[in-house]
Amino acid sequence: MHLWPIIKLSWKNIWRNKVRSGVVIVSVLLGTCAGVFMTAFMYGLSMGYVKIQLQNFTSHLQIHTKDFEQEELPEAYIPNVDSLIQDLKLEPFVTAISTRSVITGLAASSSSSFGVTITGIDPQIEKNVSLIHTHLLEGDYLEGDRRNEVLIGQKLAERLGLKIRSKMVLNFQDVNGNISAGAFRVSGIFKSPNSQFDEANVFVKATDLNRLIGKPGAVHEIAILVDNFKMADQYKEQLSTSPNLVVESWGDLSPSLRYTDATVGTTLYIVMVIILIALTFGIINTMLMAVLERQQELGMLMSVGVNKTRIFSMILSETFFLAIFGAPIGVFFAWVGISALSETGVDVSAFSQGFEMYGLGTVIYPELQPGYYLNIGLLIMLTTLIASLYPSFKALKLNPVEAIRKI
Amino acid sequence: MAIIEVKNITKIYNEKQVPVHALNGIDLDIGAGEFTAIVGPSGCGKTTLLNIIGGLDKPTEGSITINGSNLEDLTEKQIIDFRLHHIGFVFQAYNLIPVLTALENVIFILQMQGRPTKECVSTGKELLESVGLGDKINKRPSELSGGQQQRVAVARALASKPDYVLADEPTANLDSKSTSDLLDMMHQLNDTVGTTFVFSTHDQRVVERAKRVVTLVDGKIESDITQ
Repeated sequence: MHLWPIIKLSWKNIWRNKVRSGVVIVSVLLGTCAGVFMTAFMYGLSMGYVKIQLQNFTSHLQIHTKDFEQEELPEAYIPNVDSLIQDLKLEPFVTAISTRSVITGLAASSSSSFGVTITGIDPQIEKNVSLIHTHLLEGDYLEGDRRNEVLIGQKLAERLGLKIRSKMVLNFQDVNGNISAGAFRVSGIFKSPNSQFDEANVFVKATDLNRLIGKPGAVHEIAILVDNFKMADQYKEQLSTSPNLVVESWGDLSPSLRYTDATVGTTLYIVMVIILIALTFGIINTMLMAVLERQQELGMLMSVGVNKTRIFSMILSETFFLAIFGAPIGVFFAWVGISALSETGVDVSAFSQGFEMYGLGTVIYPELQPGYYLNIGLLIMLTTLIASLYPSFKALKLNPVEAIRKI
Repeated sequence: MAIIEVKNITKIYNEKQVPVHALNGIDLDIGAGEFTAIVGPSGCGKTTLLNIIGGLDKPTEGSITINGSNLEDLTEKQIIDFRLHHIGFVFQAYNLIPVLTALENVIFILQMQGRPTKECVSTGKELLESVGLGDKINKRPSELSGGQQQRVAVARALASKPDYVLADEPTANLDSKSTSDLLDMMHQLNDTVGTTFVFSTHDQRVVERAKRVVTLVDGKIESDITQ
C-alpha cells in the first residue's frame, strides 16, 4: 500500500495551522481528562452510595432460616448457631460476623405507637459489621450495663415524641406465640442516611430481647462482611450451610442496590460517549476546514495518481494525529488525579445536607476499573474514525479537474 | 509511432440541460518525443482535450488510446494507476505540496509507486540537478520563486519516467526570464532524454518554441503545423 509517505505527509499537514491544530489537541485533552475524571467521580459516588447502604446495616451476606424467610416469627431462629459461626470464621473471605435476633413488633410511647423491626444485637460485635454506632445524634450506644435500653432513629423519636431517657414499650410475640411486652428506656437517638430505616428500626441488646421472647441465645440473622462486596454472589455459593438455612447476598436483600451497581457502568459509558460526540463535531469541523482549504492540492494529488484509499488514509491519519496527542495525555492527567484522590477522597461536606438526603457520603473516592481506560482508548479510536469519515467523504467526492482550479 | 491516439473525440458538458460542445470530433496522433503545443483562444477546448488525454475526464464520444491501451477499457482504479505510472502533469499554479521540500515533492510520486527510498532520493536529486535546482533540494515551495517552483513541478512530472508530460498553461504565472529558462530546460530534456511534452497554452513564447502547434477553434482542430 506504501502508506508511509502518506502518513508522513499527514503528520506535516496537521502542523500547517499550528494554532488550529493546537486548539483541537487541547480540547481533546481537556475533554478526555474531564470526561474520564468525571466518570471516575460518578463511579466513586455510586459505589460510595452502595457501600454506605451496605455498611449501615444490610451487610454483604445474611443467613436466615427458611421459615424466617417466609414469616419473621420469633421461633424461626437458627439452630446450632455456635458451630455455624465457627465454620464461617474459617472462610478466608469472611472479615466480620454479627449475630442478631430480629422480631417485628409495635413501639409505643405515651402519645403514639408505630410498627417497627426490633433487632437484638451484641453492641460491641455489631460495631464490626454496621455503622449504626456512627450515626448517633445524642445519647449512648447501648454500652451501659443497664437492662432494657433501646436505640431509636430520629424519625421514630419525632413520631412517638421520645427523647433521651424517655420510656417506651415494645410489644411483640414470644417464641411460644404469646404476646409479650417490655418497657425500654431510650439510651440513644441515631440518624442514618436513610430516614425510612430510622423510622422503622429500633435496636436493643440481644440478651434483653431474647429474655423477653423466652429463648436466651436465639439468633435469627447472621450478618457477614466479606473482603470484596462485589464478590458477594460468588461467596454466597461457596458457603455450605444446612438445607434449612438461606444465604442471601446484598443484591438479593436489596435489589435496588444491585441495579445501581449493575447499571452504573453503562451510565458512565453513556456520559463518556456524549463527551466524545461533542469532541467528534469539533474534530469534524477542523478536518472539514482543512479539506476545503486544500481542494486544489487534493485535486493535484488525485490527478497525479494518488488513489482514493490513500486520500482517505491521509485524512484519517490527520484526524488520528489530532486525537492521539490530546487523548492519552488527557487520560494520563485524569489517571493521576484519580489515583491521588482515590486515597484522600474529594470532600463535598459543603453540600453534605443534599448528599446525605440521598444516602451519600460527604467524601467521594473517585475510582475506575482498569479495563475502563482501555475501553476509553478504543472509544477514542472509534471517535477518530467516525470524525474522519465526513471530511474524507468530501475529499473523495472532489472532481480533480474542478478541484485543481480552486483558489 | 504514436503514443497518444485520439479518435473522433467529442465532449459535451451539461448534456441534459443546456449542452456545451467543448470538443467536436477531434482526431489527433502524438508521437514519442514530440514537443507539441495545443493553442487557441479561451474556451476553444484546450484544457478539455488535455484532461481527456490525461485520463482526468472522459469523452462523450470517441476513443483515446495511450501506448496501445484504450482508456475506455480501464476501470477508474486502473486509470488512476495509469496516471501514476504513465503520465506526468505540470499545472499552471505549480501545485506543489507546501509542507514538503523540493526533493520531497519530487520523490512523492516515486514513493507512491513503491520505489525504494534510496532510489527515490537519488532520482529526485538527479532530476532537481537537471532542472538547475540542485542547491535548493531542501527548500520549501514558499522559499522558491515562481519559476523555480515550476521547475520543481517539471522535475516531479518527470520523476516516474512517464510516457509523456502534460502541461496546462505552464508559463501563465511566470515572467519572461522564468518562461525562457523553463522552456530551455524542457527543450533540453526533450532533445536529450526524448521526453514527450504536450502543452496547452496561449503564450506566444511557448508557441514559438514548440516543434508542433495544434490550433483549436470552437472545439475543432483548425490547423496542425510542424515547425
